[in-house]
Amino acid sequence: MALLRVDNMTHFFGGLRAVHNYNLVLEPGHIVGLIGPNGAGKTTVFNLITGIHTPTSGNIELSGHNLIGRRPHETAALGLGRTFQNLLLWRHMNVLEHVKTACYSQLEYGLFGAFFGTPKRHREEKRITAKALHLLETFEVSEFRDRLVTNLPYGVQRRVEMARAMATNPKVLFLDEPTAGMTPDELNRMIAIIRDIHKQFEVAILLIEHRLKFVMELCERIQTLVFGEIIAEGAPEEIRNNPQVIEAYLGREDVT
Amino acid sequence: MKSPIDKIKQLFNTTPLLAWLLGWLAAALTEYFIGDAVSYYLGLPRIPVLFGCLLALKKPLLIPGATGYFLLIYLLPFFLVARLCRRPANYLASLLARGPVSLAAIIHLALFYLALHIWADISDYRLLLLKLTMVAVMLTLSLNVINGYMGEFSCSHPGFMALGAYTASTVTLRLFADDKLFGAPLLSPALGPYLFPLALICGGIVAALGAVVIAIPSFRTRGDYLAIISLAFLFIVKSLIENLEFVGGPRGMSSQPDYAGLPMVFLGMVSCVWIINNFVCSTMGKALCAVRDNETAAEAMTVNTGKTKIVTFMFGAFWAGVAGGLFAHIIRYVNPGSFGIQRLAEILAMLYFGGLNSVTGSIIGAVSINILSEALRPLELFKWIIIPLLLIMVMLFRPTGLVSFTEFKAEKLMRPRG
Amino acid sequence: MQLFLQNIVNAMQWGSFYALIALGYSMVYSILMLFNFAHGDIFMVGSYIGFGVATALLGLTAAFNLPLPGWIILVMTIILAMFLTSFVGMFIERVGYRPLRDAPRASAAITGLMIGIILETGNLALLGAERLSFPALIDTVTFQVGGIYLTNKKILIVVVSLALMSALHLFIQKSKYGMAMRAMSYDFQAVPLMGISINKIAPLTFAIGSGLAAAAGILYSLAYPVLDPYMGVLLGWKAFVAAILGGRGSILGAALAGFLLGFIEIFSVWIFPSTFRDVIAYSVILLILAFRPHGFFGQAHSTQLRL
Repeated sequence: MALLRVDNMTHFFGGLRAVHNYNLVLEPGHIVGLIGPNGAGKTTVFNLITGIHTPTSGNIELSGHNLIGRRPHETAALGLGRTFQNLLLWRHMNVLEHVKTACYSQLEYGLFGAFFGTPKRHREEKRITAKALHLLETFEVSEFRDRLVTNLPYGVQRRVEMARAMATNPKVLFLDEPTAGMTPDELNRMIAIIRDIHKQFEVAILLIEHRLKFVMELCERIQTLVFGEIIAEGAPEEIRNNPQVIEAYLGREDVT
Repeated sequence: MKSPIDKIKQLFNTTPLLAWLLGWLAAALTEYFIGDAVSYYLGLPRIPVLFGCLLALKKPLLIPGATGYFLLIYLLPFFLVARLCRRPANYLASLLARGPVSLAAIIHLALFYLALHIWADISDYRLLLLKLTMVAVMLTLSLNVINGYMGEFSCSHPGFMALGAYTASTVTLRLFADDKLFGAPLLSPALGPYLFPLALICGGIVAALGAVVIAIPSFRTRGDYLAIISLAFLFIVKSLIENLEFVGGPRGMSSQPDYAGLPMVFLGMVSCVWIINNFVCSTMGKALCAVRDNETAAEAMTVNTGKTKIVTFMFGAFWAGVAGGLFAHIIRYVNPGSFGIQRLAEILAMLYFGGLNSVTGSIIGAVSINILSEALRPLELFKWIIIPLLLIMVMLFRPTGLVSFTEFKAEKLMRPRG
Repeated sequence: MQLFLQNIVNAMQWGSFYALIALGYSMVYSILMLFNFAHGDIFMVGSYIGFGVATALLGLTAAFNLPLPGWIILVMTIILAMFLTSFVGMFIERVGYRPLRDAPRASAAITGLMIGIILETGNLALLGAERLSFPALIDTVTFQVGGIYLTNKKILIVVVSLALMSALHLFIQKSKYGMAMRAMSYDFQAVPLMGISINKIAPLTFAIGSGLAAAAGILYSLAYPVLDPYMGVLLGWKAFVAAILGGRGSILGAALAGFLLGFIEIFSVWIFPSTFRDVIAYSVILLILAFRPHGFFGQAHSTQLRL
């Protein structure tokens, strides 16, 4: 059974059709790439599935739970972790706090505990801190744990954001251009990290990316989105040689 | 050979809080026992109530005497005792550090209270000033939760305060006092002082319910619009109270029973600081900062932003309500006029002076603005030029306040040094 | 019906005050994205300056036996006071707001509040607590049109404010600086790149806003001639609400919302007891904001008083 299933998802912004009949079947442990030119609606797909926007029509299911109409924090608690294209970090919080705050839905103490500092709360805080520290180590950012994120190099910020996303215990991780603005060095490190978390946490990944090399290397299956519609879907090899994809990316052959 | 500055630095670095508290206790005791005599010999009319500031500004001729008094009664015993107690205090602090934090905190607070009590015993003026300062700490801190930690610009704090003040006053007047507004008491007045905290909590709850009115629009709008909505709420509360005859209308309510003694107010302030600090240090409290810094990201990281906002508004308003209830019973008179724009400007000034997102900052801001505005009282009008100027300076050089974005850790404060 | 028309006249008068002050808030907001919370007190300062100018002019005419009629003195007072008050506005911009242009907007809001307090107390300290009364420059003439009573002052107030607003509109639409202002309200960052200095436009905006506030102050003093250092507080906050209601940064919206606020207030007093005026007025505003969260003409900026 598919972990994440999207059927015929369509969305209009006013009169503008942003996404049309989008389908996705994500099996556990798979990595799927979503490529397409700028403005094709890739990020909108993410926002629709995670609940920032509600699709005009269509169906979304995550391991049996219907996601339509759920708020983003509910879909996140059900197991959709995500990162953002333009790094939405919290500028006044340090790295450790970022990761701990992402454990919000796993806190087992209520407001009473938060107000009065019950022993249960101390246990929970300890558990979450341990978990967060472990994640920081996985993403190789432990040395920055007490630093404010705004003062960190870009690559580190990206990794912090991924650590934060992983702290929500996702079953599916949505990565929105994880390598944007990265140096080749950092890029290779990112590939290694994604491979590593994919293995270690057994998480399925949906990935938006512009660098085809990166997508081809990581993904088992690739979808190509143009003007909100999937024009091609298949293994990396098929996509590479698909004339429609080449046209969308490079323009018509006969023009040149 | 060390320079004197290094020596002072070293003294500060090696003396634990416990010793400073003992020093202050010693100063208070010195004043209590020989204050009258010393002020007589220094040519002062009576014990200077506020470290000699008022006296010095009123009658410049008395400045030498007031300075001498300050040195002799405060500075000398304070540093002497702190220095002498350094070693035993460090030992004691390290013993306490091994036990539970609550025990250490209680001992520190008890010492602190004792010193305050003795200090305030000298004059009613000091007592009133202390109580109002504590209420100001509560107000500033609770506003910090909304404006600093959650980053909404809420202007309705005096409104919450008014709700709390009127509710608590109504409860105590109706139940425990023979009053012209409500008639004979329903319960025995002897129960009053014990049930007073319940009246305060009632006030807090009503304020918290009022906060729902502005928390709900905050789901959709932020910033300016929330500011205006909360401002409108403040005006509405104020003029509703003016129109409600059964709580006295524009004349207000008076002769609340005298339940808000120093211990009660102190207890209120300590529980406020303790609970708010607990909240903002927990991961649940960090979610507020996440909502402030980026709401979309907070939602995507499982933070229920709607619930967080409503809880925070209600929580902040609750404490504003409790502070309002205390305020009403300290002054023993409330009228709608005391909860207007003026009060708002005052609370905002204390908050932004001390620092956003910081419990320490709020305490510093509330205490310093309060003491300063009392100390400058002899300057009359010019006080209201000096304090705003000071605040503008702080805003120019430290836009988020003196001590912003810090965490208040009791363990760290009480730790042995050296 | 007569009462209704009479109320419309009163509402127009109050609306003029609110609209003139609200324009100042809105203009500053459209350029700097912050509300000048000292603006209500600039209105107060404007009416005091007007008082000073009018008294001086009256003294001069008396000293030299000039046969100047009252309305000429009034016109001169308005012009001179607007001019002088605009310097107050520019000064406040220079010392209070320019250093904070990159700081959190909440800090600027606090600074504005504090400047307001300084203006109020400074005034009290300079002139004392006794209330001054504005000289009666023109005599009140009452005439009756179709059963409603009009006074020449009410007509003057409405006409002068409408004229000032039209002049502002023309200035913003036609002049070079007006265009720069409009450009800046679209994009605060890009315009300096086009060779227009924000350090020129911002003081100009403050100057115009303060001038309008001074005009409002003098007109207000014509109708209610008792001056009080705290007179700007209540009117200022209400005009601020009107500026929000009109839509942040929208000039037309601010003017219309100012008049609307006048109408809401006057008519709620007509229907309900007068003590309920604030409750009704603000409840209506809350309702309007609930349905149009960005005011009448505001764009949906997602700005916040950020830290």
